[in-house]
Amino acid sequence: MTGRRTGQVLLTLGGMIAWAVQFTIIYAATSTLCGRGWADATLLGIGVVQFTILSTTLVTLAAAAILLVVSLRAERQGRHQPVSATDSFLCQTSVLINGLSLIVILWHGIPGIILPACA
Amino acid sequence: MWAVPVAGCSGVQSALDPAGGDAWDLYWLTIVMTVGATLIFILVTALLLYAIFSPPERRAWLGTRRTIIYGGLAFPIVILSLLLPYGLIGMRDVDVPQSGALQIEAIGEQYWWRVRYPAEGEQADFSTANELVVPIGRPITVSVTAADVIHSFWIPNFGGKIDMIPGRINRFNFTAERPGVYRGVCAEFCGAQHARMAFDVVALEPAEFDAWRRMQAQPAQEPAIPLLARGRDLFRAGGCGSCHVVRGTEADGQFGPDLTHVGSRRTIGAGQFPNNIGTLAGWIANVQHIKPGAKMPSYGSLTGEDLRAMAGYLESLK
Repeated sequence: MTGRRTGQVLLTLGGMIAWAVQFTIIYAATSTLCGRGWADATLLGIGVVQFTILSTTLVTLAAAAILLVVSLRAERQGRHQPVSATDSFLCQTSVLINGLSLIVILWHGIPGIILPACA
Repeated sequence: MWAVPVAGCSGVQSALDPAGGDAWDLYWLTIVMTVGATLIFILVTALLLYAIFSPPERRAWLGTRRTIIYGGLAFPIVILSLLLPYGLIGMRDVDVPQSGALQIEAIGEQYWWRVRYPAEGEQADFSTANELVVPIGRPITVSVTAADVIHSFWIPNFGGKIDMIPGRINRFNFTAERPGVYRGVCAEFCGAQHARMAFDVVALEPAEFDAWRRMQAQPAQEPAIPLLARGRDLFRAGGCGSCHVVRGTEADGQFGPDLTHVGSRRTIGAGQFPNNIGTLAGWIANVQHIKPGAKMPSYGSLTGEDLRAMAGYLESLK
């Protein structure tokens, strides 16, 4: 696989990777912190569990948003110049996957903000 | 035909007839989800039929990029994004402990409910069984656990289910809004008689509840007539006191339900039969036929007269 194709595939999967990172960190951190009795510990004025969920969500949201912008640009460029069917498919797929990943990351972060930690 | 399913929507054991704050939240969540899902189902079905039966030139707009993006992506994302916080906020607000709540302990056992009222102020502690009596208008916290296997405590009119797990205490909070008799059930399969493990929930005016509580804390009353005294003697001679407690007598068993005021309860057998001398006699003589697997043996060898005396004694324990 060429370097360009590798980049395209990574761009396509990037949103899902960001989602997987958020998913892993918030579940692992919540289980560990709650299991060790840190439900009431605070960091910068907010609960340490909420802080972890919020910061992880914001970082992965930013990553997914950047990937979405990059894939939108690539898709727009592809409309104005002749590209192969594979390139066109990958460009459209990356827009879709990165957009959906952005929403899913947001959905995953919302419960951490609304629900009490370790309840 | 509608009368049959609709009859199940109100009554002593229905989540569609809320009698407490949390149950109302769950009720509205159910209504919103059901109505919303029905409307979307009708819309999608209509579009499907339109796509199948309309002329090609008229249905072409269904296959456009714009329809797919707005109808297939944007619409579900918006709906789910609204439902998620709605459901989460409901989940957060339901079952929140209230200060000054009346504390009650419920322990699930195969196949009945041990209920304890801890001492509160001048009110003494006591135990009862298969019946939860609460005052209206006051927050209630029921701390639940199990003695043997996992059970689940569910009073549909007052809120959602909560697991009763051996070695762990979960808490169920609710406030009864109106007086009445409701029904709770075990909602987790716990053995052969799981389906026959229910309990009554009696919501009383505060003054009535205080009177009930004072009465329940009293020891059992002495038999008033010779027949009942004979029943008490048979109860004693039969060894019933090794499993059951009747406060004020030498019966101090802790294995089975507290029978100190068994006659005051609405039902016997964990919500299975109305409580009267006939059902009590039937229960004593034939429990293993009525509820096979219950821990109590049948006492089928008692004569009819002895059975009447013992059942009469238990029925007199008001």
